[in-house]
Amino acid sequence: MLELERLSKRYGATLALDELSFTVGEGQVFGFVGPNGAGKTTAMRIVIGVLAADAGEVRWRGGPLDADSRRRIGYMPEERGLYPKMPVGEQLAYHAELHGLERGEAARNAASWIERLGIADRAGDPVERLSLGNQQRAQLGAALAHDPELLILDEPFSGLDPVGVDVLSRVLLDQARERGAPVVFSSHQLDLVERLCDAVAIVNDGRLVASGRVEELRERRAGRRWHAEVSGAADGWAAGVDGARAVAGHVFELDPATDPQRLLDAARAAGSVIRFGPETPSLADLFRDVVGADGAAGGDGARGVVA
Amino acid sequence: MTDWHTVRLVALREMRERFRTREFRASTVIQALIVVAIVVVIGIISGDETDSYEVATVGAEAEAIAAAATEQQAALDIELDLVRSDSEAAARASIADDDLEAAIAADRLITGTNPPDTLVALLQAATRNVRGAERLREAGVPDSGIREALDPPPLVVSEVGDGGGGEGLAFLSSLLLFGALMGFGFYLATGVVQEKSSRVVELLLAAIRPAQLLAGKVLGIGALGLGQLLVIAVAGVGAALALGTVGLPDTTGSTLALVGVFFILGYLLYGCAFAVAGAIVSRAEDAQSTTGPLTLILVVGYVAAASLLGDPGSPVAVICTFIPATAPMVVPMRAAQDAIPAWEIAASAALVLIAAAAMIWLAARIYERAVLHMGAPLKLAQALRLAR
Repeated sequence: MLELERLSKRYGATLALDELSFTVGEGQVFGFVGPNGAGKTTAMRIVIGVLAADAGEVRWRGGPLDADSRRRIGYMPEERGLYPKMPVGEQLAYHAELHGLERGEAARNAASWIERLGIADRAGDPVERLSLGNQQRAQLGAALAHDPELLILDEPFSGLDPVGVDVLSRVLLDQARERGAPVVFSSHQLDLVERLCDAVAIVNDGRLVASGRVEELRERRAGRRWHAEVSGAADGWAAGVDGARAVAGHVFELDPATDPQRLLDAARAAGSVIRFGPETPSLADLFRDVVGADGAAGGDGARGVVA
Repeated sequence: MTDWHTVRLVALREMRERFRTREFRASTVIQALIVVAIVVVIGIISGDETDSYEVATVGAEAEAIAAAATEQQAALDIELDLVRSDSEAAARASIADDDLEAAIAADRLITGTNPPDTLVALLQAATRNVRGAERLREAGVPDSGIREALDPPPLVVSEVGDGGGGEGLAFLSSLLLFGALMGFGFYLATGVVQEKSSRVVELLLAAIRPAQLLAGKVLGIGALGLGQLLVIAVAGVGAALALGTVGLPDTTGSTLALVGVFFILGYLLYGCAFAVAGAIVSRAEDAQSTTGPLTLILVVGYVAAASLLGDPGSPVAVICTFIPATAPMVVPMRAAQDAIPAWEIAASAALVLIAAAAMIWLAARIYERAVLHMGAPLKLAQALRLAR
């Protein structure tokens, strides 16, 4: 279990992290989302140890995360980087050795990851001669070659083609499900996060705005939005229902006190009901809910990021 | 995993990657060739000149004397060119016309005015030998006895002090150190910047500590530098021995040892400074300006060593011996000419070591804080503030 507890970090006048806390369970795929500049990268760099927090603590399996346990983390930085002139295979083995593996094991792991990531034919080439997509795969290999117990990946999906996205998704699920290694990754692709993640943390302006299992977050808002499609009804047929507000298309948001049956009654009165039911909010909806207003106020363009 | 194991991994990678580059191998070969060329040139300039004389002989005994002389000629750096002459008169005429240097006829050695002393000495000695042998043979001494009497073991020549070429060695050793400190300092600076500009440094520091990374890079590049110096020294000494015309000075061994010692010390001092120069910038282009001051100090040190070449015992040379920045180039230069007492060498080495230790401490602190800094180059003052 990885616990971030009240992490704070200040850069000059900017508060990059403001008492950020969340917990990642064993074997979880954990999505870390938030608009640009929300503090995701800062938090990840503090976990990995390349940055020191001003306050707060990171705990791993109950104890403070020290240098030795940090070496068992697999990390993919936001700014990708490998030695440009070093061959891919040697490079992965080198990183595995730096993480404490014996030479032979490091070489074997590097070779098997290169195979799995589909770049075996480029193993002897310098990294700089690989396509960007293949460089990304090599980067992932560098994060995985030492059999990490925990994966911290900053925007691992950015820049990947659909095939690459599938490969990476499978690898991340494998790591969590088969090996029990928690996988924490940040992404702006919320549909992907929704599909892969067991739990998420949503941050904005360095603060945690929501965290927990995706279903729980959804349930928190479930029942408030309803989908009502009525054939032959005039626009504004629901105007007479107190506490109902048209959100978009056939979606209506009800005040907690409003009984959905009243919306259904109005629908039947207006025409023939084709479809009526609770609208399940997507992660993107949740994200807009919790970040949207703040994001707009902070001028960070949260909507633009999500779109 | 121990610190040392990590440092070794980093150092080995540095050596492997540097060695892989064509530039490194080419520069090693080129420097070795330059040193060999300099050795050859020194050999031509300072090598002893051999004088060549045309000598005529009249009669059988004169021929025997001349033949004996040619056997001894190398020791006196003389080469005799022998011709037979029909008569003493003909020989005299040729000497008068400057066609001949000398002629041996019966009991006379005929020469022009002011004959070369070495030529006369050589021919007189040969005459003593030939005539002495003849007397002994007449007295009934067997051939083996004659040889024993006339060819006793010679004195072994032992030269004291500068055996010649000391200045050349001094010039080469300070040049080598200057080149090595500058070259490998630059390797370090560019290596550090490349890790920053390729962003791999963040990945590395997720696994190891900055001090381990810095130590590994400094040691790896330094070992490579020492290896290159060794190759160049072997090439230079080998060339001198093969040519034979360059007498290796007695100080050769100790000077080369000092080149090694002062490379290690000077490299720790300058290398760490170069590493910091690389760490405070994010792009290779910016490294030019931050390494500039270090290059300047190195050039000043080298110019001091080169200009004191002819005056290795002067007060300025002594002062430069005790300045850690100039000592690595000045001490071997003075030692090559046997112009530095042992205590000065020891004291100078100790001073450079202390300066290097201070630089290592400072560099580790600045590097640790600067290496993840991206963006505009840090000012020296900012970097020093980071070290606190």
